[in-house]
Amino acid sequence: MESLQNVLAGFAVVLEPTNLLYCLVGVVIGMLIGVLPGLGPAATIAILLPLTYGVEPVTAIIMLAGIFYGAQYGGTITSVLLRLPGEASSVVTVLDGHALARQGRAGTALGVAAVGSFVGGTVAIIGLTFLAPLVAGFALDFGPPEYTALALLGILLVSTIASGARVKALIAAAIGLLLATIGRDAFTGAERFTFDNLSMADGIDFVPVAMGLFGLGEILYNLEERHRAVHAPGKIANVWPSRKDLKESSGAVTRGSVLGFFLGILPGGGATIASMAAYAAEKKRAKDPSRFGKGAIEGVAGPETANNAAATSSFIPLLTLGIPANATMALMFGALLIQGITPGPQLVTEHPELFWGVVNSMYIGNVLLLIMSIPLVGVFVRILRVRAAILAPVTALITMIGAYTINNSVFDVLLVVVFGAVGYLMKKFGFEPGPLVLAFVLGSLLESSLRRSLLMFDGSAAGFFTRPISATLLVVFVVVAVLPLVRSVRERRAAQNPAQDRSAQDRSAQDRSAQNREEESV
Amino acid sequence: MTTLAPRTLRTRRVLLGAGAAFAALTLAACGGNVAGGADAAGADFPTGPVTITVGQDAGGSTDLIARAVADGMAEDLGVSVPVVNRAGANGALATEEVAAKPADGHELILLNASLITITPLAVSDDEAVSLDDLEVLAGLSQDDYVLLASADSGFETFDDLKQASGDVTYGTTGVGTGSQLAQAVLFAQAEVEGTAVPFDSGSPALTAVVGDQVQVATVQLGEAKSQIDAGNVVPLLAFSAERNQFLPDVPTAVEEGYDVPVSQYRAVAAPKGLPEDVRTRLVESIDAAIATETYRSFNENNLLTPHEISGEEVTAEWTELAEKYQALTDEYDISLAEG
Amino acid sequence: MRTTEPVEPEPTEPEPTGSEPVEALADDAPPAAGPVANLAACLVTAGVGGAGAVAAVGLGLGTPAQPGAGLWPLAVSVAVVVLSLTQAVVGRRGGDGEKFSRYSWLSLAGLATLLGLVALLPVIGFEIPALLLSLVWMKFLGGESWRSAVLYSVLVVGALYAVFVGALGTNVPHLF
Repeated sequence: MESLQNVLAGFAVVLEPTNLLYCLVGVVIGMLIGVLPGLGPAATIAILLPLTYGVEPVTAIIMLAGIFYGAQYGGTITSVLLRLPGEASSVVTVLDGHALARQGRAGTALGVAAVGSFVGGTVAIIGLTFLAPLVAGFALDFGPPEYTALALLGILLVSTIASGARVKALIAAAIGLLLATIGRDAFTGAERFTFDNLSMADGIDFVPVAMGLFGLGEILYNLEERHRAVHAPGKIANVWPSRKDLKESSGAVTRGSVLGFFLGILPGGGATIASMAAYAAEKKRAKDPSRFGKGAIEGVAGPETANNAAATSSFIPLLTLGIPANATMALMFGALLIQGITPGPQLVTEHPELFWGVVNSMYIGNVLLLIMSIPLVGVFVRILRVRAAILAPVTALITMIGAYTINNSVFDVLLVVVFGAVGYLMKKFGFEPGPLVLAFVLGSLLESSLRRSLLMFDGSAAGFFTRPISATLLVVFVVVAVLPLVRSVRERRAAQNPAQDRSAQDRSAQDRSAQNREEESV
Repeated sequence: MTTLAPRTLRTRRVLLGAGAAFAALTLAACGGNVAGGADAAGADFPTGPVTITVGQDAGGSTDLIARAVADGMAEDLGVSVPVVNRAGANGALATEEVAAKPADGHELILLNASLITITPLAVSDDEAVSLDDLEVLAGLSQDDYVLLASADSGFETFDDLKQASGDVTYGTTGVGTGSQLAQAVLFAQAEVEGTAVPFDSGSPALTAVVGDQVQVATVQLGEAKSQIDAGNVVPLLAFSAERNQFLPDVPTAVEEGYDVPVSQYRAVAAPKGLPEDVRTRLVESIDAAIATETYRSFNENNLLTPHEISGEEVTAEWTELAEKYQALTDEYDISLAEG
Repeated sequence: MRTTEPVEPEPTEPEPTGSEPVEALADDAPPAAGPVANLAACLVTAGVGGAGAVAAVGLGLGTPAQPGAGLWPLAVSVAVVVLSLTQAVVGRRGGDGEKFSRYSWLSLAGLATLLGLVALLPVIGFEIPALLLSLVWMKFLGGESWRSAVLYSVLVVGALYAVFVGALGTNVPHLF
């Protein structure tokens, strides 16, 4: 009963005009920042931190939180329209989102993403309201062996994300893993592949790699393609998703919410793995998986829902345990410290008004974002009507300057250009950038968790199987890896057997044609 | 652009641009941040914003300290004092960049002692950073390391840990950090055998010890205090020379007879060759900043012990510590570069 | 079922809405890159893997209980080499990617201007290089008229300045 009172008191806090105003300011800033590639929520919060000194702690955090989840909404826009993923968790959105935009269905993609984000965010807040103390321990149960298993599962998902030639996708993924090893080794201090360049001592940042391979690579490719194929600018139909689109996405949104909520609790990489897992789940469930990568609406709905749910649930470790799950959360931690509040296990009991105020502000913030998104989708989609000759340099320049702002480094800008050239060449030679970028993100998590585990287990691999969570994850890994093989063998047999019923035959024929298509493209 | 302090209009300067498209452009520079002129140094410092570079990401304790000092300095100097994060190589990248900037007092850096005193033990010689190219202006504060045991490990005191020698896993906050050095030397002196598990920074190391993934870990007090108060971890030892004011009941390693005084110190520095009057003005403004009530309560909230000493004292202290750590690692045959 | 002909992308959606543009694109699809390109690409990636493997061995491999800095990079590099050689065999008949055309020079020119921007950025700030890049892209790579190229370039650089320097106060090198 007492907790219910606290929840209600939290709403009273949010509904104070000042707090509502700061919530609105936060989500608007966040959305705009999300649209600018490069400048992420962490950098923005760092810049705006001094603004919060003068206000109440709860007001400050409401605004900063708004910036954080608002940026998740904004990031989708560039992923879909310009093929520029601003964060690791929106990389998979690019695959089908941009394909939809090229078919003139950008509005559908953005609309579904906005609805999915809203649902995912809201489900996660409800989860945060009722389950936070119960699930917080989940973050603590994840040690190095569990992260190893999770990252392995993630790498496996990377290979399912590829839509074209399978071996080429694996090559790209392996090169992504290799790129992730650049930098000072966290275990021995040895410099790996840095060519004695201090700028590479911490490895290369994800954002320049993704912006180069996807965004700039696409821009360079279009410079060439535009002259060859004179295709009319795709007519921009269905600015708002149809009832049918929403119906098709509803399953993806539901699954994405759940996946995102639970994986988002894990500090470090949870949101990225959640978005990948959501995409892979949709692709696996689909009757015709070959649609994915060519504009499947579920391929946008699933990951976009999952990454917003994950963004919200990443507040759980901060607010209930005092553990910041990512760079942005670390800044919030700092902002609370400046206000004289130490985030920690006692936060909920010592400052209930703060905890519930922040949590409840997210309900309001998500509603505000949804309301803002509806007209904005129409505005942003118009970007695509701008002539390509003008849009190309604008996008290129925003990318370059945005890259500088990540770490105030010219080196990062150079990296974007280098990876832009690589992205162009990959396109010419039939490699997909997606597996490379995602493997790159997971690479250091996999390597460092594996090495930490080996140190803990004294070099023996048996330890992975004696811990319940890592053992479970490894079983899932085996199932996901082996099941498709078993199924295809069985279906091949079924196809040879004429006594099978028609529906099974249809299904296997369909699968087979999908398989053949893959083989052909190899 | 409204609140940017009184900005004197700089002299017109001729700028030669590269490329054939434009030969020469005459510009009235009015706020650009490239090609900063050293010509204005001395006369009426400051002539523009004073930038403090931080070699760590925004949000960490070093960054917060820089921002707290910057606020006070901005007020005293009457110009804006932006904090720029330039993370990379533990802060070596930022230090190298600032050391190469003109010594006109407009470019400062917030230094971590560990970069000078401990990191050189773990990386190759040409990457080690020394104070030679820098002029330290003032020391700021001290952040103490605490050895924590997970609640599930059952350790209440350091003696309990010693009993478990052999199968102890301990978390560190990374290679070449005070956390690694402190534990390596302590365990060598106490003859405790254990395996070091390096994490990327303080927060994951703390999470690991709270979740009993490792039995003990050493992190900075500011990060760990709320977990200590909640009873999720048990503080065994502090590595400060004297008892920490925020943990009066926790013994120090020195008290227990181990010669491992390791703390994280922070100081403000500038490129070498600062004009005397600029230096005096900067030191004055730092003194003003750390005297403010806001800064005092910031230290208190972040569990930082003020260690406000002069630049010369900082240089002497850090040089002495670097030598001591070198001697300790030699004596116990510890290599920080081998995990 | 195998065929050496370039694969036509399938119409993606079973329903009629919105799939026309894809088909329009498919009609113009350029010639596939062919077997030589496949081999060349595989040799390049195999070379990257080989170089990685050599460097990784130099870093020290350690033991499973105390893995060295080079163990993991070695494993990954070997995977790159093996996969590249597999692809060289599997894709020996070509089939994906696309040939370079004479328009590929445009992409190269675009890349050159971007590198120019990177070189000039720390020296004279972003405004002038950005203006030049924008002019070149609009006029020469994009075929806009001088009038619109100049107009839009100035507008774009002005907007970038307003956002990154004025509104956000970032530290992008800027001259003005």
